[in-house]
Amino acid sequence: MQKSLRVLCVSVVLLLLWVGCNGRAQTWPRIQQEGVLRVGLDPTYPPFEVDAGGELTGLDVDLARAIGADLGLDVAFSYFGYDGLYDALATGQVDALLSALVVDPARTKDFAYSDPYFNAGLILLTRQAETAIAAMPDLAGRTLAVELGAQSHVEALAWSRKLVGLVVQPHTTPEEAVTAVLAGAADAALMDGVNGRLLLRDTPGLTLAAEAVTVEPYALVVRAADGDLLRQLNDSLARLRASGELAAITARWLSPTSQERLHE
Amino acid sequence: MRRPAYSSGLRLFILALILTFIRPAPLLVTPGPPQTVETQHPILGVHTRLTDEVEEWKVKHSLELVRQMGAPWIVEFFPWAYYAAADGGYAWGHPDMVVGHAAAQGLTIIARLGLTPDWARPPDTPLTYLDKSAYGDFAAYAAAFAARYRGQVDYLIIGNEPNLSYEWGYRLTTPADYVALLQVVYTAVKAANPDMQVLAGALAPTLEPAGSPWGLNDLIYLQGMYDAGAAAYFDGLAVHAYGLTFPPEAEPGPDILNFRRVELVRQVMEANGDAAKAIYITETGWNDHPRWTLAVRPAQRIQYTLAALEYAETNWPFVRMMAIWAFRFPAPQKSYMDYYTLVTPEFVKKPIYDALQAFAQETSPAAPTTMNENPGSAGVSPAGADGTSALPFLKEQ
Repeated sequence: MQKSLRVLCVSVVLLLLWVGCNGRAQTWPRIQQEGVLRVGLDPTYPPFEVDAGGELTGLDVDLARAIGADLGLDVAFSYFGYDGLYDALATGQVDALLSALVVDPARTKDFAYSDPYFNAGLILLTRQAETAIAAMPDLAGRTLAVELGAQSHVEALAWSRKLVGLVVQPHTTPEEAVTAVLAGAADAALMDGVNGRLLLRDTPGLTLAAEAVTVEPYALVVRAADGDLLRQLNDSLARLRASGELAAITARWLSPTSQERLHE
Repeated sequence: MRRPAYSSGLRLFILALILTFIRPAPLLVTPGPPQTVETQHPILGVHTRLTDEVEEWKVKHSLELVRQMGAPWIVEFFPWAYYAAADGGYAWGHPDMVVGHAAAQGLTIIARLGLTPDWARPPDTPLTYLDKSAYGDFAAYAAAFAARYRGQVDYLIIGNEPNLSYEWGYRLTTPADYVALLQVVYTAVKAANPDMQVLAGALAPTLEPAGSPWGLNDLIYLQGMYDAGAAAYFDGLAVHAYGLTFPPEAEPGPDILNFRRVELVRQVMEANGDAAKAIYITETGWNDHPRWTLAVRPAQRIQYTLAALEYAETNWPFVRMMAIWAFRFPAPQKSYMDYYTLVTPEFVKKPIYDALQAFAQETSPAAPTTMNENPGSAGVSPAGADGTSALPFLKEQ
């Protein structure tokens, strides 16, 4: 009886190990076998992903294709609503998500995030002639333009409690905030990383302060069990970063950050 | 030479004893003296999310901030699945805490009940799955809740957005099924607490046609409710009224989802002879997520929210209250949902909170002192680059 029980226990353990290992190893071998990486995204967020008349473009789209090329894979995109992205991944409809998704520690029981490829956190914009402002502490006694009610406004108010003489100047749009900077009515503008870089790209006379004010990392997402796939994606990102291709893709859609400039 | 084992044990025991005595006493949080809400706009409410808030001081502080903002109403969720055991026992500790603190702050509570415990639903069904065979169990919970909080909670909402399939257990949603639920629950609640006001809904604004796997148009659904005899089983109607990308004054239409869709809901009530009942807008607001296609800019969100409150006060005598979704989440959602809130998980008040507070107190939300919290700074008026006011909507107040 005891021997039978031992045999049963060992069998169950082996079965569980086989199922576990098999489950973890399934996705990457299947991708290799089929030669296709299935990527889910919500194509409603320019300049990261947008479908205009059936043509899918954006930073994330280019990055997915670059990863695919690096890994020797075709990339198949599937569209989902923003709320449905994680469910689509969990239910195996796609292999990975690449859709300007912020790393969320609360989801790491079920999902794994790649190394970040973009920081969408708040950034500081100044006039090009301004050299004394490289970070928030440099704004003591200065005027900071923000978009009324935005996260940058909340952050600026928090800094105003720490920095003597920091004046927070709200404007109804990000465009008005940077116009105030260019006109000399404000010393700097605090913006989210996406809007700020778009304005930086499109507005002559602006520059990016050296330090990011907050960190909001965008990353690819895979199922937590797909460790092999995650390693492949991270290795690919590292190669794209080292070759300068990641910076080039970012610069194609947004103004390059100072770190990306340094890298180039 | 080895020391006896009991010597190490004794040391550990003494250390534990010392630590026990030097450990600081747990934080004592009490409701405190009764407060009242000072407001010029008694229609203003918020949907709090205290269900998953563990720490009592955070519950208390959230409700203090609600009162200080000038909102006399809260809508809060009290899930059946959290508090009810299969043996008929209830764990009232958390709801007691929330209700006690809300009452101490002088807030009127609309309690939303829902979510089915696993013992009351078939295996592998979601929390929103409520089978007819469990209607009686749910009614027993609702009745127990109504009896326990008599005098502290005066309104109950039965379920949430029953016209959406995912709120109906990912099944085809039918008005008749929901009315059957209302009938059982209404009867049990009234028997337990005749003063309790039972609200139906809250209906989700949607254009889904009949037969859609996602849900059913709220106007069609409401008419279906009346056709199934719902009128006798609710005292008021809860609705959700989101503005999405439209301003609050935008004309309503049967094929449009906007804030004034409430007027179409009202027409259905009137057409069914139910005009004596009030509407309670238990979720409303605009979202200012930078990427969501149904969001607006943050300044627009403030403008639209204040204008919506004024519009409802002026034009909708049948609306008793409007609860802005959502006051605060216990933790970041890392999605567009974070951009509905008025206060961050860290209790940082967003500018829209300040604007609503100023609105409730009838002071100017544009006042520089409210926009710049640095007491050492001179502050500036919110201004456009051309020197004109960047907040034209504030002039209208």
